[in-house]
Amino acid sequence: MFDFSIVTKWFHSLLCGVMPEWTAIGIECLIVLLFIIVLYAILAIVLIYMERKVCAFFQCRIGPNRVGKWGLLQVFADVLKMLTKEIIKMRQSDRLLHDMAPYFVLAASFLTFACIPWNKGLEILDFNVGAFFFIAVSGIGVVGILLAGWASHSKYPIIGAMRSGAQLISYELSIGMTMLTVIMLCGTMQLSEIVQQQADYGWNIVRGHVPAVLAFIIYLIAGNAECNRGPFDLPEAESELTAGYHTEYSGMGFGFFYLAEYLNLFICSAMAATIFLGGWAPLMIPGLDGFNAVMAYIPGFVWFFAKAFFVVFLLMWIRWTFPRLRIDQLLSLEWKYLLPISMFNIILMALVVCLGLTL
Amino acid sequence: MTLDIRTIAPSELHEEMLRLKTERQMDFLVNLVGMDWGEEGLGVIYMLESTRTGETATLKTVTADRENPFIPTVSDLWQIANIYEREVYDFFGIKFLNHPDMRRIFLREDWVGYPLRKDDKTEEENPLRMTDEPLADTTHEYFLKEDGSVGVKENTVWGKDEYVVNVGPQHPSTHGVLHMRASLDGEIVKKVGLVLGYIHRGVEKISESMTYPQLLAMTDRLDYFSAMQNRHALCMCIEKAMGLEVSERVQYIRTIMDELQRIASHLIYYACMTMDTGALTAFFYTFREREQLMKIFEDNFGGRLIMNYNTIGGVMYDILPSFVKEVKEFEKALRNRFKEYQDIYTNNVIAKGRMVGVGTISNEDAISLGLTGPVGRASGWKNDVRKRHPYAMYDKVDFTEIVRNEGDTNARHWNRMDEMLESLNIIDQLIDNIPAGEFQAKRKPIIKLPEGCFYQAVEASRGELGVFIESKGDKTPYRVHYRSSSLPLANAMDTASRGQKFADLIAIGASMDFVIPDIDR
Amino acid sequence: MNNKSYLGGIIEAVKSLSIGMKTSLKVFFEKHETEQYPENRSTLHFSDRNRFCLEMPHNDKNEHKCIACGLCQMACPNDSITVTSEMVTTEDGKKKRQLVKYEYNIGQCMFCNLCVQACPHGAIRFNQEFENAVFDKNKLLMQLNQPGSKVEEKPKPAPAAKPAAPAAAAPKAEAPATTETTKKEE
Repeated sequence: MFDFSIVTKWFHSLLCGVMPEWTAIGIECLIVLLFIIVLYAILAIVLIYMERKVCAFFQCRIGPNRVGKWGLLQVFADVLKMLTKEIIKMRQSDRLLHDMAPYFVLAASFLTFACIPWNKGLEILDFNVGAFFFIAVSGIGVVGILLAGWASHSKYPIIGAMRSGAQLISYELSIGMTMLTVIMLCGTMQLSEIVQQQADYGWNIVRGHVPAVLAFIIYLIAGNAECNRGPFDLPEAESELTAGYHTEYSGMGFGFFYLAEYLNLFICSAMAATIFLGGWAPLMIPGLDGFNAVMAYIPGFVWFFAKAFFVVFLLMWIRWTFPRLRIDQLLSLEWKYLLPISMFNIILMALVVCLGLTL
Repeated sequence: MTLDIRTIAPSELHEEMLRLKTERQMDFLVNLVGMDWGEEGLGVIYMLESTRTGETATLKTVTADRENPFIPTVSDLWQIANIYEREVYDFFGIKFLNHPDMRRIFLREDWVGYPLRKDDKTEEENPLRMTDEPLADTTHEYFLKEDGSVGVKENTVWGKDEYVVNVGPQHPSTHGVLHMRASLDGEIVKKVGLVLGYIHRGVEKISESMTYPQLLAMTDRLDYFSAMQNRHALCMCIEKAMGLEVSERVQYIRTIMDELQRIASHLIYYACMTMDTGALTAFFYTFREREQLMKIFEDNFGGRLIMNYNTIGGVMYDILPSFVKEVKEFEKALRNRFKEYQDIYTNNVIAKGRMVGVGTISNEDAISLGLTGPVGRASGWKNDVRKRHPYAMYDKVDFTEIVRNEGDTNARHWNRMDEMLESLNIIDQLIDNIPAGEFQAKRKPIIKLPEGCFYQAVEASRGELGVFIESKGDKTPYRVHYRSSSLPLANAMDTASRGQKFADLIAIGASMDFVIPDIDR
Repeated sequence: MNNKSYLGGIIEAVKSLSIGMKTSLKVFFEKHETEQYPENRSTLHFSDRNRFCLEMPHNDKNEHKCIACGLCQMACPNDSITVTSEMVTTEDGKKKRQLVKYEYNIGQCMFCNLCVQACPHGAIRFNQEFENAVFDKNKLLMQLNQPGSKVEEKPKPAPAAKPAAPAAAAPKAEAPATTETTKKEE
């Protein structure tokens, strides 16, 4: 597997040769920032297009097909539309908080986005408490959503925001618990190290068998809820609250929420791919050396995106199948089912690891 | 049928009504029609029916005072009278003594005059207003003082501390422009109030200036998902009043069309129900099958939604030769897909959680609220007009009336699902035996009904739809009133959703399946 | 769900959810129902009972059948038809009513078919031209009789005029045919 750190180290030493180290780091930071923003935008376009097509196919339709070949330019047309829309100023709303809210959501999304290991040696934020950092920064999003609901000075948004607060805080517990299960299996919180182990010893979902599969399913459910996506889309429950916390946003303010929602979907899927499905590690089947050699030839980031988008499709499939839960059912699902099961799962994983029952 | 009307003075009305309700068990107020008899005065016609004995009674009361007409309320006896009396107040200005909520219901609160009175100058007194519509939080109640004079007191509908959320008139889940005001306590609904009339077109007023064939064009636009049944009701009412016999072929065709329309309507119901509870994919499934049905409608009647099919004495066109084959194909397709509907939505654990035990309406409430159709039958009330007062071919076909006793959203949902299959059964029995005959009975070009009051009800997709016509022997009716099947359903939202979650309010509304043009008329 | 055990509830829930997911995936690979208008114009089929726009058929001699009796105008529930006529004296000295202008406002039309049924001469019919959207409200007001057209001479109906107006008589002509087919199926 090609190690990208060779490239980054060579680039760093190249820059250090012509300038002092602090300028070199500054320039590298700018390049990384640019890389994140571009990748973020590209992924958003791909995801929105994919969502529309997948949703259409589930609903016996063919989806967007008028703007460009197969409707490929549809997303660009939408962005153009959003940019040219009038920004509606609400009377009696708290302007400062109202305008700030989308950026909180976006910032949380960017920070979590930066945690993902794309390839071997291609990590942006990678330190020994990576998983912990990921959970911590993803919590900022809820602040933005609560602010949006509160500052709009409107009834639907505040109901949506309150639902959202209750939902996100509850489901973060399950996410934490399931990640903890994996951390126990791997013995590290560093995301790059977790993936490296999976490349060496096999994917976590195979290695940890029963508790890992359970954790994976719970992670998917909780992750889906964390992204505010159906069947957990209560905060924006279209048929009840029109658009929930972003009812009063127009133009790009709404666009940011929309963008963050889709990227959160990707981040959730990417994290599932990273900690359960081996991240950039290729598919290896013990005993089939020829097959393994071919698989290893495929670059790591291709593997990573393939796995992430597989999970994205899984989440879309869930979204476009089920009806929405009610707020009390949503909370009882978390507190009565997911949380106890994932706690039990941690014990199970501890036993598995202690007794050396991992595959 | 021609109505046999007994007249009662307003002063004795309440006592007599109480006697009818308790002694003769007239627990179902079918219809309440406001009337303006000109010289004779303003009045109300009450149509009662007993759900136990099947007896019917029609009463009328008149007050000669046109300035301050007062009639005692019956809203304490039948809950549905509450909204019916507000409608009469709105259109005729009759004030009901002891009615707790005498606000206008369809028209703006600053409306001048009472449009259904024969002497009203609506257009002169009500220019287009550019101001916002006022929505009062308080209301008046008129009561009789001890000395015999009328007093007024103020009742509060919406308190100052209540968190009132406006659901509608522009809202994704009100199926049109229904405006519900819901008072919330957190997520829990405390009270629901209706603000109606956003698409009120005054069909009843317009009808008074139209000839009988012209009236027909209106009915398709009331409850557009029961267009066929609505028009069937009006045609039957006129035919029976003028003593016109329609051929057996027409009866067969009308019955089949009614049932096809019912299936189309229930397919739409399923789609709306799933969408309102967030299952957007299931929404499209029934549209797929409905499209097949729409194609049949389009080929045979030349319209998908507004069919204009029934005429006085027959139907507009004969069925096409391909009709029988196409209906059978549709039937096969629907039966095949039926399991799919239940797999993706109805049997789903989430959908069950959203429906079972939600929005329960007791049997007594259902009767008192006049909830006919699948909703009433979900509360254990056998109210099918097809069984109670059979018309067309319904007394000759064999079908079961779907009744459930739970009274919750789930029962209402399943009632409709089963009714679709039952409709297919009815079609099965008729489709191969359509007799030969003329499709349009011969009649005079100008239709005049004899003097009198006529009422004809049919089982529309949403319940009993009745047509009331009073004729003075002219070629235009003196008064036309439609017993809306959706108005009682919308009115029941308050009873059904008190104490439920806000999300349930939407699900209950979907399970009621009201159609706004039918409420507003 | 209180009467079920905790685990039983979970198993049942998972079962029902997976049935739902199976169903939706099945539909995912089925044929799409979308009809692509305007690409499908050539395959769009409308029965001749569809009512989209009123028209007055003219034969190739620019003659129509309207005698300006005004029955359609009277039958219309929504005042969408205005017939303007004048009295003229024919060559043989008889006074005769003649059509000047037959105005039809499609914006007010309810497509109820009463006018076509009321017409004693089959002079008007509904056609299947459905693309009636316009940008200007005034364009909804149409004049149905062509300029310079006159009423068809009754005693000697031109043979060419017959195929021009088959629709008005069509429903009646179909009646016996349908009866026969239903008999066969019995």
